[in-house]
Amino acid sequence: MKKIRDFINNADIRRFRFWLQLLFFVIFIYGGYFAINLGNSIPVFSCGYDKAVGGMCYFLPLQHQLARPLDVLFSVASISVLIGFVTFLLWFIIFNKAWCGYACPLGTMQDWITGLRKKMGIRYSTYTQPQFDKLKKIKYIMLALVILAPMGVGMGLLGGEWRTAFCEICPGRMITPLFVGDVSQWSLDFSTKTAMILTTLGLIFTGLFLIGSFFKKRFFCFFCPMSAMHYIFSDGALLKLKKEGDKCTKCGDCYNVCDMQIKDIADDVKSTNILRDDCIFCMKCVAACPEDDALHVDILNMKLFTSTKGGFAKRMEMDRLEKKND
Amino acid sequence: MVNFIKRDKDDIYAKPLLGFFFKNQKFLLSLKIAVSALFVYALYFGFAHTGKENTFTTAVFWGIFWSLFMVTTLPTFGRIFCGICPHGFMGKYITKYGLKKTMPKWMQNRYIGVMLLVFGWWGVYYMFPGLFRTAQGTAILFTVMTLIAFVVYFLYKDMSYCKYICPIGTLTRAYSKLSFTWLGTYKSACDECRTFECATACPYNLKPFTFDNRNSMTDCTLCMDCSSACEAVSFKFKKPSFSLFSKLQVLKAEVWAFILILASISISMSFHHGIGRSNAADIMIWSKTAEFLKNYINFGSIDAVGLFAFIYALIFTISAALIGMFIAAKILKKDFNTTFYDLGYSYAPLFILGSIAHSLEMFFLKGYEHITEGFAYGFGFTLDVAPLANRGDSWLHLFGLLKWVAIIWALIILYKRVKLLNVTKLRKIVAFPFAASLIIFFLSIDIYTGYIFKTYGKASSGHANHGGGEKLFQGVPAEAATILQSGKNKNSCTTCGMELAKSYKANHVAKQNDEIKQFCSMHCLAQEMSINKTQLEDIQTVDTKSLKFINAKEAYYVLGSKIRGIMTKSSKFAFADKNDALDFVKENGGKVVTFEEAYKNALDDFKPSQATDMKKPAINDSVYFSQSNPQIKKTGYGGEHNHGGDRVPTKEVWPVFEDSLGSKNCFTEIDASIYLLDANLSTTQATASKSAGCKSVSFKMPDNGYYNVFYIDKKIQDNTLHVKTAKYEFMRFNHSNDAVYDKEKMAAHTIKETPFDIVRIREEDETFYHNLYSGENLRVQVLLDGKPLERADITLRTKTLWSKSLKTDKDGVATFALIEDYFPNWSDFDKRYKNEFLLTASYERDIHGDINGTKFEKIRYSATYPSFYHPNNSQYRSYAYGLSAAIVTIIVSGFAIYWYRARREKPFKEVSFNEKD
Repeated sequence: MKKIRDFINNADIRRFRFWLQLLFFVIFIYGGYFAINLGNSIPVFSCGYDKAVGGMCYFLPLQHQLARPLDVLFSVASISVLIGFVTFLLWFIIFNKAWCGYACPLGTMQDWITGLRKKMGIRYSTYTQPQFDKLKKIKYIMLALVILAPMGVGMGLLGGEWRTAFCEICPGRMITPLFVGDVSQWSLDFSTKTAMILTTLGLIFTGLFLIGSFFKKRFFCFFCPMSAMHYIFSDGALLKLKKEGDKCTKCGDCYNVCDMQIKDIADDVKSTNILRDDCIFCMKCVAACPEDDALHVDILNMKLFTSTKGGFAKRMEMDRLEKKND
Repeated sequence: MVNFIKRDKDDIYAKPLLGFFFKNQKFLLSLKIAVSALFVYALYFGFAHTGKENTFTTAVFWGIFWSLFMVTTLPTFGRIFCGICPHGFMGKYITKYGLKKTMPKWMQNRYIGVMLLVFGWWGVYYMFPGLFRTAQGTAILFTVMTLIAFVVYFLYKDMSYCKYICPIGTLTRAYSKLSFTWLGTYKSACDECRTFECATACPYNLKPFTFDNRNSMTDCTLCMDCSSACEAVSFKFKKPSFSLFSKLQVLKAEVWAFILILASISISMSFHHGIGRSNAADIMIWSKTAEFLKNYINFGSIDAVGLFAFIYALIFTISAALIGMFIAAKILKKDFNTTFYDLGYSYAPLFILGSIAHSLEMFFLKGYEHITEGFAYGFGFTLDVAPLANRGDSWLHLFGLLKWVAIIWALIILYKRVKLLNVTKLRKIVAFPFAASLIIFFLSIDIYTGYIFKTYGKASSGHANHGGGEKLFQGVPAEAATILQSGKNKNSCTTCGMELAKSYKANHVAKQNDEIKQFCSMHCLAQEMSINKTQLEDIQTVDTKSLKFINAKEAYYVLGSKIRGIMTKSSKFAFADKNDALDFVKENGGKVVTFEEAYKNALDDFKPSQATDMKKPAINDSVYFSQSNPQIKKTGYGGEHNHGGDRVPTKEVWPVFEDSLGSKNCFTEIDASIYLLDANLSTTQATASKSAGCKSVSFKMPDNGYYNVFYIDKKIQDNTLHVKTAKYEFMRFNHSNDAVYDKEKMAAHTIKETPFDIVRIREEDETFYHNLYSGENLRVQVLLDGKPLERADITLRTKTLWSKSLKTDKDGVATFALIEDYFPNWSDFDKRYKNEFLLTASYERDIHGDINGTKFEKIRYSATYPSFYHPNNSQYRSYAYGLSAAIVTIIVSGFAIYWYRARREKPFKEVSFNEKD
């Protein structure tokens, strides 16, 4: 038992993560070619506009469901909405936000772009703390758009183009289908003014996505409504990121490796559940923590992966060896 | 006592505007005085103006305070209703000069208030629905309550009336636990306090500094007197219902308040006003009981059905709660009382949120109008405002969401409270659904009501509810109608048998051989006189204003006002006085005419409409299926679209025939065979609808895939056998995730019954989302007896009358390029526009033969296939602009980042000092 634990705790999480991300990328983007269909309540941005999608982002069906006329929506037919939602929750509840860090194809793409930047030797950007505090609210506005815009259509207040308003402006719609050779989303829709504005925004956001994720790690995740939706239910999830404040020395290693720039991970020594709404659960912080048990990932209150002195030392050694080879 | 404290961020007292509203004593005092003045004025007004025109008193009491303001504030800001309550405000001063006795023990019973509300108010409400609806009734009720309150305030100390006697005291205390506000104190300041100004200031003799520790605000009514006494008092934003998430001292009366209020309002209303308005109302147990007991007891003016709906609601609700909690207690191995009262707090959201939904909906539908006009009336001017919403507005359904929020909220509270119990996890999980019995009961009543309406339908004449359903303008209560005719059916119209009182204002009477006949409307009079040719004389009609009978020939009729007539296209109302008629026109439109003109208009109703005469296609007419009823000019939503639910979608198509001049007619009689080829490729004979007029073919589409309807007609004329076929093809797709596109099934199929057919050849890459678009090629194959036919004539004609004729090649295939001929203004552009077209194939061959002995020398085949195509997306989608948008963004933002970074990285500049200078 101890051996297994040591093996996990000493593991090179980055390599593990890379391969897992690649696997999920293939499943979600090319799954259709392998007859994989994980349904359409997937809690990550595996875009439904991709023809070969192996499991669809929950927002597309959710928006379609919410856009039904309200009397239909709140009648017995709401059971289908409920089923979709429960399926979403069941997917989510086990892995918590690890979906973001390990499964989301859009997140994976950003990590690859970050890798490209690293290769080019360009340094990355960060937000200042006030910027961070302001910008983090955007994802809730996006979530409101996901839910309210289709309901507005259902109420008859908004035109039909608002049905999937968020999808229209989501960069995933443009970028994901590219991987199966479909460029049809890279166009502006001039059929109505609303459609024109939404698709223009979509392509502007796509441009921002590409350039932003080049300079800022996980640029888009910061504004992702799925991340906001995750956070609402993350208290109930089985996988948890925990911190034992008394063991923390506030060295700041975890903050330095954090792609999402979450300050609480280093500063907050009070809360035990250290998962924040921006977190993508990449577990880099746990790997980077030099203190025994200061940070750990729990599943059902069992420690799955904890920070250890040994593990930290081993990983640092790896880094040094890698640098020597360069 | 503290004079200054640094307030937390979530303290409402520290917020700019809210802080003023809740903290500023001068503002609060003037608000309370204003509310009390309004209260007293409304009471006075109720006595002074007892008539129906006094909408002010009812607007104040039933429009604003009770229900709307109370239920919307309770689960949000808390008991601010009590904070501004005139009783409490005035009671404070009465107590000050009163006897300040201690209330006797037997009166210190919160159930007094609860029972007063449940039986004294709601029980009476269900028994005598109209009792307190008048201004005078309201005024009397509140005056009595006020007098009782003042006497109790005068006698006893500590505002005991609010705590024990006030019918809504316990209720507001209980429901305010859901609110997101919390009156507490800053612990740091209170630790050193030895003077307790907050407690001294409290008229209720409460101790605000203990609220946080007790996790309960007890009887605090948010009068804010303590906050003026000491700055350490805080009023904070918290998580809604947070106090229920941890241990608290239970108050049994609160749990009972939740249950009894839920029973007497939500559940009773579901029974009496919900299910009671369905066609199944009579078979419900409360109706049956009332019916049964009516044989033994004389209920007098009591609404027995309402009473029993109320009683049964109480019985069902209480037993649902008790039984569920009893089982839960057994599973949890806990004392029943502990379980019941501990977990019973989870019932809190059920009633109050549903009530908010109802109150807000009523506010938008009626309340706003009632309140505004009532206040205007109360202060002596007239206002006429329109309601903010109309019944049936789809956005009103949004309030339906609150009911689900209530259920989920209740379950969350229950979960948190079960979590607090000290038992094993397994027991908690098993006990949870039983403890939730009342929540489940509430949910199932909701679903059951929906089921009843779906199965039995809504009763056509709903009984008058509060405010009344939709009443026709022309109707009057039966006792107000003057019935001049006699006999067994004297209350019904002579011609149509309709109840006369229902359209009394349109009634006419006439004499037939000295026997008086009464008619519901001029329509029926005209039918009797001009169509049935009955001799009628001395026609009289009802004066719409005075409701008296007047001579019709001298009356002034208002024709075609916006008030809908009952049996006729344009309504007619008679007036004795021309000015009355003109006033009516001013309000409702229409024009003033004489009896003769009105009568002539009534006769117009009987003119036969042109389409009803029989028509059959001539031999050269082309027959095809139309998606819309050609009789109805409005091009409705022809497509099938049915999300959710378990209904099988149905498609209706109308076979029509068109002559060479292009005039389109529908069938009144079909003497051809109709077949249906369904998605599973089985062929069945279909029948046309039974209705006269336009015959249509309806078919159910249970599965995803193509459905085909065939019309096959064979007729011999001039030694020629005319074989006419028409086909309609429709793809049904429910957007299901599991749908499999089976190419074999989805391919074009013909049936052996049809000798001549057009099939659209499927392209390789077709999916369930297939549609035709302009610019694409349409490939069709013509089949004769199931085999491809070479050199058949085939024509494509679009709705815009563009047409193209081809001959089929050796595989029987013809290829059409679908042209773009949809060029509207940008503002009218619809990318889902359907450019309809019709394919017509024809072929002749010389074959001798006979059918049933009638000989023919040649056969003339013709087939039609209607379909449509959408504008090609290259019409409105642009890659160039799309790519430019993305690229421009990349370049601009890339450059911006580069510039930003370069600006921050100032190159190193050596600063050197020359020592010589």
